[in-house]
Amino acid sequence: MELIDKLSILADAAKYDASCASSGAPQRSSKGRAGLGASNGMGICHSYTPDGRCVSLLKVLLTNFCLYDCQYCVNRRSSDVPRARFSPEEVVRLTLDFYRRNCVSGLFLSSGIIRSPDYTMEQLVRVAQLLRETHQFRGYIHLKTIPDADPLLVEQAGRYADRLSVNIELPSEASLRQLAPEKSAASIRAAMGTIQRGELSRQGQPRAPAFVPAGQSTQMIIGADTTDDSTILRNAEALYRGYQLRRVYYSAFSPIPASPASVPRAAPPLLREHRLYQADFLLRGYGYRAAELLAGPGDLALDIDPKLAWALANREGFPLDLNHAEALQIARVPGIGLRSAQRLVALRRQRRIRYDDLVRLRCVLAKARPFIITSDYHPRQADAPSQWLRRQWLEAPRQLGLFP
Amino acid sequence: MISLDCGDCFDIWRGQARQLLSHGIAPCAVTWAGAGGDLFASAGPMPLGQGPRQPRVPAQLPGLLCQAARYRGEQRWSLLYEVLWRVAQGDRSAMLAGSDLGSELHRRVKQVRRETHHIHAFLRFVPAAEGAAEDAAVGAAGPQFVAWHEPAHDVLGDACEHFIGRMGQARWLIATPRDGAYYDGQTLQYQRHCPAAWQHLAQGGDDPDGGLWLAYYRNLFNPARLNPKALQGHMPGRFWKHLPEGPLIPALVSDAQLGKRRDGQAREVARLKGKRVGKG
Repeated sequence: MELIDKLSILADAAKYDASCASSGAPQRSSKGRAGLGASNGMGICHSYTPDGRCVSLLKVLLTNFCLYDCQYCVNRRSSDVPRARFSPEEVVRLTLDFYRRNCVSGLFLSSGIIRSPDYTMEQLVRVAQLLRETHQFRGYIHLKTIPDADPLLVEQAGRYADRLSVNIELPSEASLRQLAPEKSAASIRAAMGTIQRGELSRQGQPRAPAFVPAGQSTQMIIGADTTDDSTILRNAEALYRGYQLRRVYYSAFSPIPASPASVPRAAPPLLREHRLYQADFLLRGYGYRAAELLAGPGDLALDIDPKLAWALANREGFPLDLNHAEALQIARVPGIGLRSAQRLVALRRQRRIRYDDLVRLRCVLAKARPFIITSDYHPRQADAPSQWLRRQWLEAPRQLGLFP
Repeated sequence: MISLDCGDCFDIWRGQARQLLSHGIAPCAVTWAGAGGDLFASAGPMPLGQGPRQPRVPAQLPGLLCQAARYRGEQRWSLLYEVLWRVAQGDRSAMLAGSDLGSELHRRVKQVRRETHHIHAFLRFVPAAEGAAEDAAVGAAGPQFVAWHEPAHDVLGDACEHFIGRMGQARWLIATPRDGAYYDGQTLQYQRHCPAAWQHLAQGGDDPDGGLWLAYYRNLFNPARLNPKALQGHMPGRFWKHLPEGPLIPALVSDAQLGKRRDGQAREVARLKGKRVGKG
């Protein structure tokens, strides 16, 4: 099979993994040196696909032959898809070629399970080793970690890769048993633990060889089972806390060719995925807790964003006086981000905050208005019920068309 | 009215601004015109020598002004002088994003940062044609990779360091409609006016191995998640014509709209013969 055909098949097989980040790597440069590649902690999106997603890395599978039969996966063994396998040298050649063209900033390599978890992991490590040692490649490398692989292999992978990830796949153990019978929550968590121990063992030892400097991430598939957002967010929070994950990716389940009856045929729940990412960002960046965003079981509201939903449910803290509140409190106002909050605090040292300052900072005033007080503004809607406010943001009712 | 020309060069502007400031000349009494000159300005003389005043400004301000100076647009240099003047007069809010003037300054800095990000991301190198050395007149070896890019602001100068870090000892050439850069593996040669030979070299040439990237791009995308608006927002249309994958986008979008949305598989892959895997 020609390289270009393998590339087509194995790129198509890899696209269901949402992660494509190239950020968080340490400073590396090839200036005046043999070899290729640099990283500086900032991710670069070199292109965007028509689904609006960033292309930052060469994201392929080493092979899409797979012994497992995970129902949600296009590459499961019972799936009737074309199969291909790269040699490690072919992946290296593609990575270097795309990198020189400035099409990507590195490699994200995953694989179907062939022969055994250990053998598969060895192959992945081999590619990273060739890149780093033979070609002195200093770009970004993200390797998928195969659960059940020998911890020594994971340790070795961590020395070459900037990021390792183990996919948690489904948000609950019951769904995992049902849809991915060969995988187990215990071995997935054990692999996460191995990576975390590797990271911890380097802490406070600046001269130790680097180990996954960009940390570990994971992916959860949304909508393949019936788990609600509340469980998903609590799970994510536990993962951030328990394994110091850098990111949890949420991937809306999208229908696959020759879909088994055990998974839905519906279009991917993209809006739900979007709301989960917004909520996740509030957990990581703003110090919200999952229990604040969703007190009981249930899903996030689809019609308004989670920060606005939280503010509407917690009106007792509002309206907030922007001339006195702390930066983190200001950042909890819908329509005002962390950065704007910091800028308001900086400006406040010079003079008092006025309504027009928010306009100039490009805050989303349509959302922020009922929640703020400035030196020249007090909201008329301060006492309006939340239900009424919520209706204001939603679209005006529209008459349906005669023909759908 | 004093009419000045700094040739769109920050260092020249800084010298001029420093001198004006030392004489206490207010922003309303000075204008920076392009090469054509300001039609309505009756040129007055620039005072000679350093004036008596030596105002001090916060350490961050020069860096901020330098960043904003990369911005191409109306009032490119006058606005910077106005900010400098106001801060020198003691009004520090003029450089903060919350104030009237500072808001425009920071908008420009943000635009420039965005455009720098664009050049890091969307510039594409292609292997240079044979005999590139003679064409480009850049010494014996000549570039191995060439790129053509059309940035909206003057960001190439700052972006060179990024590509030097990435490309190691490779020799490369970047040409834009205004400026150009050549790196021979050791030293950088930056030209504020890009030589025509460089521009010619960077724009022409075929690329026999370019098909791999196109194949990757076609198959990476999930038709079931089609979202052309997000694509447009992140990758503005003006870059498409210089990206190899640009011409593929309209067809991929319309294919997905016309029924390819059923599942995620790419059309070419769906045509190939499938294979189930035995249970090992």
